[in-house]
Amino acid sequence: MTSLLNALNAGKTSLLTNQKSIEVVGTNIANINTAGYSRQRADLSDVPALNFGDFFIGQGVAVTSVSRDYNLFINQQLQSKSIEYGEETGKSNSLAELERVFNIGKDNLATQINEFFDAWRELTTNPNGQVERDIVIQRGQFLGDAFQGITTELDTIQQNMNTEIAAEIDGLNEKIAEVARLNERISMVEVAGQSANAARDQRDVLLNELSEALGVQSYTDNRGMVNLLLPGGMPLVQGNMASTITTVSNGTDVHLQLQVAGSTLEVFPENLGGKMKGMFTIRDEFIAGLRQDLNTLARDFTEAINTEHRSGYGSDGVSGRDFFLDMATLGPNDVPSRNVRVVLTDGSQVAAAGNPAAAPGDNEAALRIAQLETGHKVAGTKDTFDSFYSTIVATVGIEAARNRLALSGARDATVQLQNLRDGYSGVSLEEEMIDLIQFQRGFESSAKFLATVDEMISTLLELKR
Amino acid sequence: MKATQATTYRMLGSRLDDISRQLEDMRLMGTTNKKLNRPSDNPSAVGPVFNIRQQLAHVDRYVDTMGKSLDTMQATDSHLDHVENIMQQAKEIVTNALNGALNEEDRTVLADSLANLRKELLATANSSINGRYLFAGYQENTVPFAENPAYDPLLFNADDSSTWPYLYQGDAHATTLEITPGETIPINLTGSNLFFGTTSWDPADPTQNATEPGRYNLFVTLTRAEEAIRANSSDDMQAGLADLEGAAQQNRQLRAQLGNRAARVETAMAHQEETRVDLQQILSRYEDADIFETFTAIMEQETALQAALSITSKVSQLSILNYL
Repeated sequence: MTSLLNALNAGKTSLLTNQKSIEVVGTNIANINTAGYSRQRADLSDVPALNFGDFFIGQGVAVTSVSRDYNLFINQQLQSKSIEYGEETGKSNSLAELERVFNIGKDNLATQINEFFDAWRELTTNPNGQVERDIVIQRGQFLGDAFQGITTELDTIQQNMNTEIAAEIDGLNEKIAEVARLNERISMVEVAGQSANAARDQRDVLLNELSEALGVQSYTDNRGMVNLLLPGGMPLVQGNMASTITTVSNGTDVHLQLQVAGSTLEVFPENLGGKMKGMFTIRDEFIAGLRQDLNTLARDFTEAINTEHRSGYGSDGVSGRDFFLDMATLGPNDVPSRNVRVVLTDGSQVAAAGNPAAAPGDNEAALRIAQLETGHKVAGTKDTFDSFYSTIVATVGIEAARNRLALSGARDATVQLQNLRDGYSGVSLEEEMIDLIQFQRGFESSAKFLATVDEMISTLLELKR
Repeated sequence: MKATQATTYRMLGSRLDDISRQLEDMRLMGTTNKKLNRPSDNPSAVGPVFNIRQQLAHVDRYVDTMGKSLDTMQATDSHLDHVENIMQQAKEIVTNALNGALNEEDRTVLADSLANLRKELLATANSSINGRYLFAGYQENTVPFAENPAYDPLLFNADDSSTWPYLYQGDAHATTLEITPGETIPINLTGSNLFFGTTSWDPADPTQNATEPGRYNLFVTLTRAEEAIRANSSDDMQAGLADLEGAAQQNRQLRAQLGNRAARVETAMAHQEETRVDLQQILSRYEDADIFETFTAIMEQETALQAALSITSKVSQLSILNYL
């Protein structure tokens, strides 16, 4: 009798275990589209056998734990690829904007430079022409406008980036705090001997997002808590304590600070990774470099024209006049590329003549100025004004092309790693269906087993009648 | 490794993304007919493209400048032709005057006709194009030559231009224009050079102005010949005849110089026109999309997109769920 009741009990465990397994399958199917969800499985083991006389007979089956399919290596790979992907993403929007500003259409600074010198060439054929003189001044103003236009566009791009950085930081602080909360929960659940699968999955998703955005580094401590650091080593999450990133506006500039346990740390671009690093690199290095080149061009250009212009004579016979505003007179906060301004107020001041008589047909100074276009080399380079500018545009093109390639490479790599992760941790409907059939069969057969034992008990009870 | 639903849909999504993006790029290429739409399409083409565009702009300007130069040169040449005629006629008149059978009245008629030629020469020397005097040097707004009211044959001094029969109010600068990159060429003759036989001219100090050795002052030659006829001095007439020939020769020389320069401008112009075609071809190689290549590629991508879309729609039909 004892053994029949044992069998009844064993059948019960089988019924419950298969049912539990089906529930796990159900959870898997339910989470098939949940980002970061790791497939769970019920770990089964037979209940330790008891000694019946000479035999050890099993006591049924039990679910010992619900574990998740998880591969630390793949997840770490995914995290580090996300950092790379994030960095390129952070660059790509601004680079697309920069490509628009430094375009290769017909309407750009190079065209304005060409037009300016063309006006001087036209003036050489009729140095006394009032119209030609006015056109030279006008072309100079257009050129100044073009310089200013580009400079303003660069300002706008940087302002947009600052706005984006500030908006992004708010969301990131939420995520950092959430990691700390999940740490707390995981350690509490797991100290009680259970596994906090869902919380770990959620934390992994956040980790990936934070890697992409900030390039965070992570390590897990012995309580199962993950600690997050910025690439420079500043702590973002320590156990259940989260730091806060704040944005500080300084004029038009935005920089970051980190509030860690009551103290404030300056976050420099080199302390960052991922999208933020990409954005700061473009803003503080790439665009700054472009500005510097534009300023070099503006300074060199106005100086070269002024030098020639000063040696020439206006049709009023006056010499020594600047054509453009002298950059040496600018204050320390004035941007040269914003101050390419024609200072002549009247066509008669245009120094076309090379001789003090300033005879109407004298075109010597105009010839010399026109020849600066191909003859002058920007200081410290072998470039004409035009080729110096084309170098700036090519720099933007090279960086944008590199970014596009790197971005699509990183995207492909993350897609591949996500596939790899899915191959390990993901939910496949086919697999779950087959498991479902398997556990259903298990459930059915244990029910049949119970019915059989029940019949056997009935048979025994019938004996007495 | 198993293929999950997420893998399948992720791959389909990313592939559809890629194809659509490529198709978008190619459509842009197809509609603009340019393969260079932004610097990153080919960063190494940026420099050459800007440079070629600059050169093309130069070509247009040079061709324009050379056209204007040729106008000036042609106008100048026809005036020099006229000067040639004047000197020829003057020689004929003096030769006539040397004929001993002429009486004083005949000689006065001849001298008067020389005086007329002198006025013709003055008119030629003061000719203008578009309101700019051709032979005034840089002083193109000033009538270059004027009769000297103070002229006195007895006070004539070859080394003092204020005693000459005609005064020059222009200067000694010929107009120079850039006709090809770095090459400048004088496109006209100065009055002092052509009519006074001197390449330097100091308007402030007349004693600094003298006809260069071996060269001629055309106005003086005509005036002296006329005076010789009026004075019936056959020696002076003989000398005048020789001077007139020398002066005509001087005119021919300068005319030939100008002709050479005009020929140079013409070849340079033809060269610029050729350069324009070459430059446009090179520019096109950098910028323009091959229309057949582009459309073939677009069709290829469209086929790929169709295949990807049709596979996407079929994927959901293949599942164990359909067999349970």
